[in-house]
Amino acid sequence: MGLVDRGRLPKPLTSLFNLGRSYSLWVYQWGLACCAIEMGAAFGSPRYDVMRLGVIPLPASPRQADLVVISGTVTDKMAPAIKRLYEQMPEPKYVISMGSCANCGGPYWDSYSVTKGVDQIIPVDVYVPGCPPRPEALLEGIVLLQQRIKNEDMGARWRGEGTKPMNVVDGESAEKGGVPVVVN
Amino acid sequence: MTMLGDRQQLAYIAAQAADARVNVELETEGMTLNIGPQHPATHGTLRIIARLDGEQVVWAEPSAGYMHRGYEKLTEVRTYPQVTALVNRIDWLGSFANEVPFILAAEKLMGVEAPARAQHIRTILFELSRIANVSLFLGDLGVQLGAVTPVFFAFRDREYVLNLIEAATGGRFHPNFDRIGGLKDDLPAGFIDETRMVMKKLRTFCDQIEDLLFGNEIFQSRTRGIGVIPKDVALQYGLSGANLRASGVDWDLRRDQELPMAWNKADWKVWTHPDGDSFARCWVRLQEVRESTKIVDQLLDTIPSGPVMAKVPKIIKVPEGEAWVSTENPLGEMGYYVVSQGDQGPFRVKIRSASFNNISIVPWLLKGVYVPDIITILASLYFILGDIDR
Amino acid sequence: MWSMVSRLKREVFPLSSTDTTTEAPRDERRDAEMARITGALGAAVLDSLVKANDDMWIRVSADAWRTTGETLKSLGYSYFCFLSGIDWLPSPFGKGEEDPTEPTPERDSTIKQGYTGGATRFQVIARVMQPFTSLGVNIKVDIDDSMAIDSWCSVYAGANWHERETHEMFGIGFNGHPDLRNMYLPSDFEGFPLRKDFPLLARIVKPWPGIVDVEPLPGDDEQEGEAS
Repeated sequence: MGLVDRGRLPKPLTSLFNLGRSYSLWVYQWGLACCAIEMGAAFGSPRYDVMRLGVIPLPASPRQADLVVISGTVTDKMAPAIKRLYEQMPEPKYVISMGSCANCGGPYWDSYSVTKGVDQIIPVDVYVPGCPPRPEALLEGIVLLQQRIKNEDMGARWRGEGTKPMNVVDGESAEKGGVPVVVN
Repeated sequence: MTMLGDRQQLAYIAAQAADARVNVELETEGMTLNIGPQHPATHGTLRIIARLDGEQVVWAEPSAGYMHRGYEKLTEVRTYPQVTALVNRIDWLGSFANEVPFILAAEKLMGVEAPARAQHIRTILFELSRIANVSLFLGDLGVQLGAVTPVFFAFRDREYVLNLIEAATGGRFHPNFDRIGGLKDDLPAGFIDETRMVMKKLRTFCDQIEDLLFGNEIFQSRTRGIGVIPKDVALQYGLSGANLRASGVDWDLRRDQELPMAWNKADWKVWTHPDGDSFARCWVRLQEVRESTKIVDQLLDTIPSGPVMAKVPKIIKVPEGEAWVSTENPLGEMGYYVVSQGDQGPFRVKIRSASFNNISIVPWLLKGVYVPDIITILASLYFILGDIDR
Repeated sequence: MWSMVSRLKREVFPLSSTDTTTEAPRDERRDAEMARITGALGAAVLDSLVKANDDMWIRVSADAWRTTGETLKSLGYSYFCFLSGIDWLPSPFGKGEEDPTEPTPERDSTIKQGYTGGATRFQVIARVMQPFTSLGVNIKVDIDDSMAIDSWCSVYAGANWHERETHEMFGIGFNGHPDLRNMYLPSDFEGFPLRKDFPLLARIVKPWPGIVDVEPLPGDDEQEGEAS
């Protein structure tokens, strides 16, 4: 895909590729705490059924995943493992931070052993707030991510631009692509 | 029939000895197997380092701490109502059950007792959270042993219970509903009929799981005689809950302890199993879900009228003293040792969580087992990481 | 088929009474049990306390710590519940709710031990129980400046992890423990978190967010202005 790397892909082709990418997300479940159960409910239960959104929740390893959901409390002891997981994933890669703990430390904001937000270690695309968020909230987070992927400039993404963490916090920014969003 | 258990164990030991001889003859090299810290088939982030000789574990050491959030320190800088919000998240599958012993300890220190109606509703919600917790265990058990279907059943029927908890408390997961001196609110309209219907569904779910899983020959051969814990060892390690009762110890804190709760107003049974193996542990849990549905059904008939909140001051100051309260939580005995020095918050809280003791037996238990049995044993011990690390 | 040992509940226990009676209620079951324990332990018991319909506490001398465990086990207390420590020093940081820019207020730092007293800042507390009767006893022991005590590993196998945890959290050593590695924190972690003089840095470097709650909201301001 040399064309993509050089950013010389024709626009209709980009839209087509983005459409394909957004509906075939292989998501790696990095379940850590309470949120892991709600993530399990969203991904594994017949009631919420994430596969209807074109998300496949069962990759064999992070090396085959497009998206990782960090759900739960990230401790300082766990942080290196998460960093390594992120480095193992192939580009383009996306991160959803699920729950207050992964977003900012949550109820453990003053703890001596909890990392205050996973975005201190890896860039995050979508923040899903809640303690824990309902499965529907996670599904909305995934839909927002898909919108973002559809509007993305693939060349920039492949070159690693646009993966920088930014502090934009409104849902509309998903339309513009390339900035993190927060589900409200 | 303990004979069967003995025979199985002897056969198992003989097989292990035969394997060990082969290993000696072949002069196989040992290897170290690392499982975790995150593994899809474990409940959270337990890491296990196992030294293997061929297919056998020479020694294994669980490495906890990947979910250590410093609860005991954090409780020291929070007030009593704030601590309740925090302790919800220790055992996140049965969160209401975590609040109850802490609130009871604080009430004991203050000399307050919740009204009869509040005690009743507390017990109902306690048992509902036990059902929500253990039903997921029954589904997850299948996944860990290679059967994927039960987990869909479990998630389907667990949602009904979560809906009930949400209807009553406003939170699916972490209700934070218990207050010192009672409950935040009364039950919503229609809760009783709805609960009765759900309990019926849950009993059907138990039957389905029994058919699907417990009657399955593969499941039985993978769990029978695996990870046998004798009675005295279980007591020494402080195992509790279904793990202890599966070793033949007929001890249930709900029945054998005086607490201002409503368990003694229902007629139910404590199930035990003499074998002490993985199958026994899973089987006892299945029966416990059934008993819980019965308890809830009976308590729904006899909810007394009256207020749900005793008279307590607005700003809660707990008098000086020390108190220990433990209850039979879904995972086992969960207790709080609360030390108060007359402040708005506790001076020190020791949280005795069930999984910490339950999992401390793992190094002893994994010695000499085969690699696939590691997963069986861990699955049947049933731990939750938040409950180990706190 | 396997047999099922099951038993109907044996009796209906009365709810624990919290009625304020004029004389202290007696608890014959626990009184008798405490007499049995103190009789067996002899001079090792420094102090004891029975709260009726509640619990039992004893404080033993540090030399007799291991034999206390052995004696209790032989008295039927075969269930190991927990072992942990207590730091009785009042926290020099309070609740961490003050504004960090203000000078720190004076705090009382007198050590005040709880039930059954004590003579040192650190105490180890353990709890063992009799299965079936659900009678439990809390055992306390003073930790002197050597900051070490005998291990209970050989008595109750379950004490192993609890002692590791206590060592990590309080820095109390256990003589004869096979392996006092850190259990929760990385091995290069400095300090002992559950000691009272271990600060929660997040609370010290920034004002406690609860302070924000008492500030008036913008809407409230306008209403107040109109009313006045």
